[in-house]
Amino acid sequence: MSNFDDKLAQHISGISKEKQPERDLWRGIELGITSQQGDASQDDASSSTVTSKQWMAIAASVCLVIVLWFAAPFAFKAEESRSDGYALIDAMSMQQQQQVNSLLASYESTTALTEDWQEQLKELDDAADVIKAALKDDPDNSALIKMLHHVYQQQIALIERVHAPKWQQI
Amino acid sequence: MEHTQQRVVHANVVFGNKSENELISKAKKGDKQAFRSLYDEHIGRVYALCYRLTGEKGMAEDASQEVFIQLWKKLGNFDGQSQFSTWLHSVTANITISYMRKQKGWVQRMFNLENSGINEMPAEENSTDVDLEALVIRLPERARMVFVLHALEGYRHEDIASMLNMAVGSSKAQFFRAKQLLKDFMGVDDE
Repeated sequence: MSNFDDKLAQHISGISKEKQPERDLWRGIELGITSQQGDASQDDASSSTVTSKQWMAIAASVCLVIVLWFAAPFAFKAEESRSDGYALIDAMSMQQQQQVNSLLASYESTTALTEDWQEQLKELDDAADVIKAALKDDPDNSALIKMLHHVYQQQIALIERVHAPKWQQI
Repeated sequence: MEHTQQRVVHANVVFGNKSENELISKAKKGDKQAFRSLYDEHIGRVYALCYRLTGEKGMAEDASQEVFIQLWKKLGNFDGQSQFSTWLHSVTANITISYMRKQKGWVQRMFNLENSGINEMPAEENSTDVDLEALVIRLPERARMVFVLHALEGYRHEDIASMLNMAVGSSKAQFFRAKQLLKDFMGVDDE
């Protein structure tokens, strides 16, 4: 064993096994387990609830497609000076906004698991704005478009996670 | 006197385990207060592992919450064959790794963060007063995870390879890389 290994082993034996988090995590945990208990006690009702949620989601998607189908030509006409690439970004943003609004509406009566999720959502919004600003100069940049798409996906995932977490299996 | 001390220590361990077993049993039956006591008892170690694996306070806090939420659901799987803390540690490592995969996947693909920032870090003075935890947090993600699991938590490379979905050789290589980087961070010259 080298000197360094000896030294490292000493440091490892001196490292603390415990570390306390800076914020109180119990509140979120309590909310999480309460929501699990609620889910368990509503087993019978859950299948119909899930089904109705799925139907709502399908209906919302169909409405969105119809709206985009009719709105897209007007949007393109109104912004003739813009390139086709940026019109696509506008359409993506509009679709995202509608999806976020419909998700938020569907979770209106559900308590969120964390307090700062709106702040996180705002940070993702800011990130999307920065990417969109870059896309104005370079609307066909596929890396930026992908990045914007990922940010939008993160927003949806965040809203779903804090309102209806899907617990992992151990 | 020595015998008496040994008996006292032994009794503490026995009573400690007994009260923990009672808490586990109550929590399995849905007693939230008992679960809260288990949380108070173990959050320090769970958070420490989450923090060292993720390298970020916010992510470690979220992962710790996820660990306890899932623990509540899966506590029935604990059969008492091993120490509760050992079982909880293994659960914590697996949930945190899975959580990191979900959270960091796209960010890493987009920005390739694995190697960013390592060279910007100044070497520490070559002294015995080293904050190993702070240095471990500086390591790139895969090297850090392997180092934490192998050197701090005592997992075998075979187990780590399976947990992190990598070859055993890769786990050993990442451990070697972690040690080399720590050596650099500490300002230790090659012997």
